[in-house]
Amino acid sequence: MADENENEKMDNENQKPEKMFTLKKWNAVAMWSWDVECDTCAICRVQVMDACLRCQAESKKDSYGKQDCVVVWGECNHSFHYCCMSLWVKQNNRCPLCQQEWSIQRMGK
Amino acid sequence: MSLKPRQVDFVSTWEAIQETIRGVITLDHVPRTVWNDRFSDVYSLCVAHPEPLADRLYTETQQYLADHTTQLLQKVQADGEHNLVKNYFHVWSQYSVGSQYLHSLYLYLNQQHIRSQKMSDAEIIYGSADPSTTNQGEQMEIGELALHVWTANMIWPLGSRLVKLLLEAIELDRAGQPPTIPLEAVRGTILSFVEVQAYKKKAHLHLYIELFEDPFLNDSGEHFKRDAALLLQEKDVSMYMERVKAKIEEELFRARRFLHASSLPKVAHRCELHMVADHLQFLYSECQNMVKYEKKKDLSNMYHLLKSVPNALVVLVDTVFDHIKNQGLSAIHNLQGESIHINFVENLLTVYKKYKELIKEVFKSDQNFMGALDKACNSVINHRPNDGRSPCRSPELLAKYCDTLLKKSSKGISEAEVDEKLSESIIIFKYIDDKDVFQKFYSRSLAKRLIHQQTQSMDAEESMIDRLKQACGYEFTSKLHRMFTDMSVSTDLNNKFQAFIKQEDIDLGINFGIYVLQAGAWPLGQAVVTPFALPQQLERSVQMFETFYHNRFNGRKLTWLHHLCQAELKLSYLRKPYVVTVQTFQMAILLLFEKTDALTCKEIRETLQLNTDQFKRHAVSLVDSKLLLSDTEEIDETETTLRLNMDYSNKRTKFRITAAIQKETPHEVEQTMNSVEEDRKMYLQAAIVRIMKSRKVLKHNLLIQEVYAQSKVSFAPSVQLIKKCIESLIDKQYIERTPHSSEEYSYVA
Repeated sequence: MADENENEKMDNENQKPEKMFTLKKWNAVAMWSWDVECDTCAICRVQVMDACLRCQAESKKDSYGKQDCVVVWGECNHSFHYCCMSLWVKQNNRCPLCQQEWSIQRMGK
Repeated sequence: MSLKPRQVDFVSTWEAIQETIRGVITLDHVPRTVWNDRFSDVYSLCVAHPEPLADRLYTETQQYLADHTTQLLQKVQADGEHNLVKNYFHVWSQYSVGSQYLHSLYLYLNQQHIRSQKMSDAEIIYGSADPSTTNQGEQMEIGELALHVWTANMIWPLGSRLVKLLLEAIELDRAGQPPTIPLEAVRGTILSFVEVQAYKKKAHLHLYIELFEDPFLNDSGEHFKRDAALLLQEKDVSMYMERVKAKIEEELFRARRFLHASSLPKVAHRCELHMVADHLQFLYSECQNMVKYEKKKDLSNMYHLLKSVPNALVVLVDTVFDHIKNQGLSAIHNLQGESIHINFVENLLTVYKKYKELIKEVFKSDQNFMGALDKACNSVINHRPNDGRSPCRSPELLAKYCDTLLKKSSKGISEAEVDEKLSESIIIFKYIDDKDVFQKFYSRSLAKRLIHQQTQSMDAEESMIDRLKQACGYEFTSKLHRMFTDMSVSTDLNNKFQAFIKQEDIDLGINFGIYVLQAGAWPLGQAVVTPFALPQQLERSVQMFETFYHNRFNGRKLTWLHHLCQAELKLSYLRKPYVVTVQTFQMAILLLFEKTDALTCKEIRETLQLNTDQFKRHAVSLVDSKLLLSDTEEIDETETTLRLNMDYSNKRTKFRITAAIQKETPHEVEQTMNSVEEDRKMYLQAAIVRIMKSRKVLKHNLLIQEVYAQSKVSFAPSVQLIKKCIESLIDKQYIERTPHSSEEYSYVA
């Protein structure tokens, strides 16, 4: 305890205009989610935050952990699971929600 | 000597053979040369020229044996009834060995002449023909012939007299009297009934059973009945069982001494029939008490006796079930105080272990009793107090128990002990019907432990999740796993972020650390995010981190969960410097006092844009800790003026304001239960759609059954709830009632 106080005193001398409160440390908590308009994938009806149905079924076999089931945004700004969309476009190259020609605007990472 | 067929004089040859047969069958001395000569004589008769004389030899031999046995019969009877068994045994011992030698002497006849006429083994065993009738006119091998002749000439005439004497001898043995017939003769005579049929391929015990065993069993049956009646007069169940057990042992011992091995189970069965099965009610009468007072010896005897009687165990099993259930319920009845959850789990485990041990010891871990233990534990653990009106608290209590073990505060117990206790908690977990409720509570407490760094050991956490996964499967723990991985991903992120700041030469002014959690995996919900004006000291950190994060990841957005953030604040305005750990909201309130000594609550709230609820909670905690002073008794969210306590002192220079770290409030429990209810509805609806999609059309009851079977892994849904879900799916037009029946649904594609 005594040592600690000495150290503190040293600190005090170094800092000239002493503030009453000094914020030393901040342990923040944040939540990330995909930046989407609708949080359900219209193709598999699963929340985009969760892996798509197909991936959920498959990951039963691997050990737990990383699920690389990302989200993809079209030019129309609609978003789906990438896995779901890549199967969809094989049949029909249009957005299932607005029927516009599908082209990828960006991919989630 | 030539092997060529030649003319043989039957009469003279037969005379010589006959002489030797006499020697062989009476075990007299037969010189090797004579034996060899007769052996060739048999051969030469069989191959004699011009006519083979085998058949004649066979008939003569048969006749000789018949004459011989008739003589023996006279001899045996000559000594009177008293010595009948002894004499019979004596001549039988001689004859049975002699006939085997005779069989060898006739080797050629047996192999070449007789076997060629015989049916194959397969025909005898599988053929539809009854061998006893087809065999009549057929010739037998000499060994068999000898035994056959014995049966006809000795056993048939003497059989019933012998059996009567044998039974008397056994009865005498039962009574413990000295034997009047040598025991060896008794056994030998009984076994002779088996041995004379040794050549028979099928039903070779037939004679033994008919002649001796049946009368013996009937006789013994009567004996057992008398014995039981005698023992019953004592009216003492535990003594009765002891005696019966000893009796069965004794009878088996006797059977082993006298009878053929095949009779042993029959004897035991008879004994059980008359001494146990006939008196079940008497035995059951003490069942209750024996179970109640856990009289291990009596119960073990009871188990042994009842085991062999079909369906007799049911009453005992049911009684044991009731007993364990009552013991279990009373072990968790009226628990009170802070450590209900610990008492609950540990008391249950004590009961479980005790009875598992008892069943192992007393009932040899019989499946029926293990089943009763499972059933009892299941009904105790899922018991709803107040006649089912109150919810079952087991999932919550068990989750809390795990939390207590996994939290840092659990003092004084080693890691190995924690591990052991956790693995035992799985025993209880397996019996819980509402596993989903447990999962909800568990994930909440896990989230708290992880975010507030209260975890004792990450290894322990991980192995617990693995255990749950083993018990319930991947789906059950996937979210728990994701929470877990978020922690290590965050550590990695923090390191990269620090490197990034260093590279860009940015000074955040504070020591910054962060957990980035994946939405959906954590039981936190978006709803708890409340408005908040970030203090200017933090702005740069938040900005820099968001820039960093968005550079690394695409398409993600971050939501800051300020109510979960913690800050360390150094206070330099007091006599001693202090470092205090506070939540972000508390920190924000304190920071406002940098420039002024007093603020009204209204001012604080407006500056920080906190909602009333959040503000009040944190303001109260700061006042309670005496860092701030209030000018009113109760804090009013507008009027009250708060000022900094300039005289604050504390023995410790580092401390934490804990009041605002939420405890599991009743409100939260309710919230958890509600979210479980919602999840169940979703789960059931998904299950119904899955089933209907594959079946297309299904009857109501079958659908309910299938849904029930699918959801049983994580909870036991009520039929009512399933019905509700069916209704709502009909409304949503996933399924419809078929036109011709209201009890049937079809899938709408």
